[in-house]
Amino acid sequence: MLYIHQTTCISPQLSFSTIQLDQLQESVNNRLQVIEPAYEGIPNGILRRMGKAIRFGVGAALPIIRGAVASIDGIIIGTANGGMEDCIKFLNQIIDYEEGMLTPTNFVQSTTNAIAAQIGLLSANKAYNTTHVHRGLAFENALLDAVMLLKENTDAHYLVGGVDEISMYNYNIDYLDGWFKKESIDSKDLYQSGTTGSLAGEGAAMFLVNGNSENAKAKVAALHLLHTEDEQLVAKQLTLFLEKHLRSGEKIDVLLSGEDGDSRSLHYYNACENVLDKQATVARFKHMMGEYATASAAALWLACIILKEQSLPGHMIKYGSSSSNVNRILIYNNHKGRQHSFILVEKMK
Amino acid sequence: METVQLKQQLKKQIVEFLNLINVKPEDIKDDEPLFGAGLGLDSIDSIELIVLLNREYGITIQDPKEGRKVLVDINTMADYIEKHRTK
Amino acid sequence: MGAISAIGSSVTENRMALMQEKCGIGPLEMFVTKYASLLPFGEIKITNNLLREKLRAHEPGLTRTTLLALHACEEAIKDAALTATQLNSFDTALTGASTVGGMCLTDELYHDANKKENGSAYLSSYDCASVNLYLQQRYGINGIVNTINTACSSSANSILYGARLIKSGLAERAIVGGVDSLAKFTINGFNALHILSPDKCTPFDEQRRGLNLGEAAAFLVLEKEEAVAGKKIYAELTGYCNTNDAYHASSLSEEGDGPYLSMKGALAVAGISPADISFINAHGTGTENNDLAESTAMLRLFEKVPLFASTKANTGHTLGAAGAIEAVYSILNLVNQEVYTSLNFKQPIEATRLQPVQSYTKMPLQHVMSNSFGFGGNCASLIFSKTDY
Repeated sequence: MLYIHQTTCISPQLSFSTIQLDQLQESVNNRLQVIEPAYEGIPNGILRRMGKAIRFGVGAALPIIRGAVASIDGIIIGTANGGMEDCIKFLNQIIDYEEGMLTPTNFVQSTTNAIAAQIGLLSANKAYNTTHVHRGLAFENALLDAVMLLKENTDAHYLVGGVDEISMYNYNIDYLDGWFKKESIDSKDLYQSGTTGSLAGEGAAMFLVNGNSENAKAKVAALHLLHTEDEQLVAKQLTLFLEKHLRSGEKIDVLLSGEDGDSRSLHYYNACENVLDKQATVARFKHMMGEYATASAAALWLACIILKEQSLPGHMIKYGSSSSNVNRILIYNNHKGRQHSFILVEKMK
Repeated sequence: METVQLKQQLKKQIVEFLNLINVKPEDIKDDEPLFGAGLGLDSIDSIELIVLLNREYGITIQDPKEGRKVLVDINTMADYIEKHRTK
Repeated sequence: MGAISAIGSSVTENRMALMQEKCGIGPLEMFVTKYASLLPFGEIKITNNLLREKLRAHEPGLTRTTLLALHACEEAIKDAALTATQLNSFDTALTGASTVGGMCLTDELYHDANKKENGSAYLSSYDCASVNLYLQQRYGINGIVNTINTACSSSANSILYGARLIKSGLAERAIVGGVDSLAKFTINGFNALHILSPDKCTPFDEQRRGLNLGEAAAFLVLEKEEAVAGKKIYAELTGYCNTNDAYHASSLSEEGDGPYLSMKGALAVAGISPADISFINAHGTGTENNDLAESTAMLRLFEKVPLFASTKANTGHTLGAAGAIEAVYSILNLVNQEVYTSLNFKQPIEATRLQPVQSYTKMPLQHVMSNSFGFGGNCASLIFSKTDY
């Protein structure tokens, strides 16, 4: 399918300037907010206009853009809410000033394609540039887009990413809609909560992908997208997925699960664990990254790190071993109980 | 308001309104070009400054092109504000 | 195909209007905004209640954007005679596009974003994905579903994505398109940039003063060549390309690099040369920047610029729907072997001297190109070709 050659992640954990996943950073006020680095390489004239999502989205992309040895043939971003903060700021202006004279920067920066556009602008990249916004499958569609492009040209290189921010505003909307915990909770207690809702998260994970295996860090061997509220169908699709993509004798070593502490979606994760029948270590990541539409991008970054280190931090493990031969990781994630994805990630031989 | 005070206030407002990074109001010279070289603002900034003039000083400039004639440097802006302000 | 716009509620109505040089841009009658009396818009004169009745769509939380999308999608599915089995099959994909999503509901969004209690019925309807998630559920689509937002080129990219899903074997058929409804958000946003015209827009005219916003929805059903025997076929999508102008967040470069590269790229995919293009449905918004950049790009690419016109003078700039509805219009050009008048044109841009089509004409057409260029420099070009089926 495709090979990951470089990957970066700006997240609520120590994942960017240094990578120290053992040092679990905990939530504050039911939110897991990113640790923003000093942004080198973004001119002040441009940085001043950027809302948070664009800032850390571009920030995560820059090391890859600067470090790329070959030209980048496309920039493909998945984001559900893009610059939501700027969006609502502009909306507030509309209401507060009764549609009078308004400043345009919030509007221009609020469009979901602003992240991909800014990356293109900063790297003077005139090639393919697109933004997928299909909520919990926005990143998966971005990945699929790259898969299709690489099928036509194996040697091309694409920057693929998933970005979303917690803004006060979309937190409010999702909170009112019941997606976040009503009670105050620490991220380390997330999975024991037994209540509805999860913790808000945010982050940007970027990947330089290509069709060639040489010097690659990991392989995305298979990808599946699904819309359903039927856990039996999820289990059935997972079974078919594994039958199709695992060769005889191969097994999943780690199930990287998007379990998010929301009691209403636990049954989907249980169903997938049952399919694997205790054959795999089950690890979770949303106590680290939080719940947001493109969290699966952070999961893919984590999978790359786990494959490289051949171990995972103890706090991620639900059951199973923290270190043994990790050859194959299955990421299963669902967003709001309806959009599901399986991503099969393999270690380079 | 004294012209000197107005210019100081204006510089502070510009830095805040345009969210200028690493630029202190006192760093902006009165005759430093706002656009192109100098402060390096662009066309979106010119629209934003027109909104600033409207919100802070009650001045309405309809056409951004007309606005550019006013928005040359702090001196021209202060001059225009003194002549046209309604707030 | 299915389409709804300010000039008609079906593909046939839209075609009749185009032939008769009907302009759907004028004063607002339903949408409430401070600008109602100041600016003209391409408003669809059908209320949400009427749409809900007609489409039997009474679920809570359905925005106008979703209703318009449903209207066009319904027409397209019926036109393609897709069976329930085909709709529910795991190899039927759906890609839609929108830039506004549920943000047309300014007051509800303001409340839900800022207030701590009493959320509205629209809490899960604000994002662009909500439109296609509804369509997915309504039609039971089990294949790949996606939503794209690349500003004004959104639905062109949606068509491109659906085509590639089929090409790579990930889908047998794809329902592709886009939608946008009028919203205070976009009205005020474009107005803040001073690119809304106080008059009906005049694409490619020297005196052009900006664009008019419009609302629309259009969907097309794409199937691969091997599957179409015995079916009614309108045209073949032979070329497509997406590029970025990489110049500025909200305007195109003077030389029109992005547009030039996307047109050139589409020709390469189609395997044809510039001289083979019979007609271009231009992006032609009527803004000073776009029309000049687009004209410059056309002059760079084509030794002899083909006939071209902008239908935005009929419908307004329909943002997320533009690429799709103009794809429908390009296909109508091909099927009926005709070109429509580019309205309100009087005087060519001095720097380019290019003149769009100025009267309805029947003529042989083989390949029609449709262009969509947007904010963020996102450019897309599609080429539709006449088929022998």
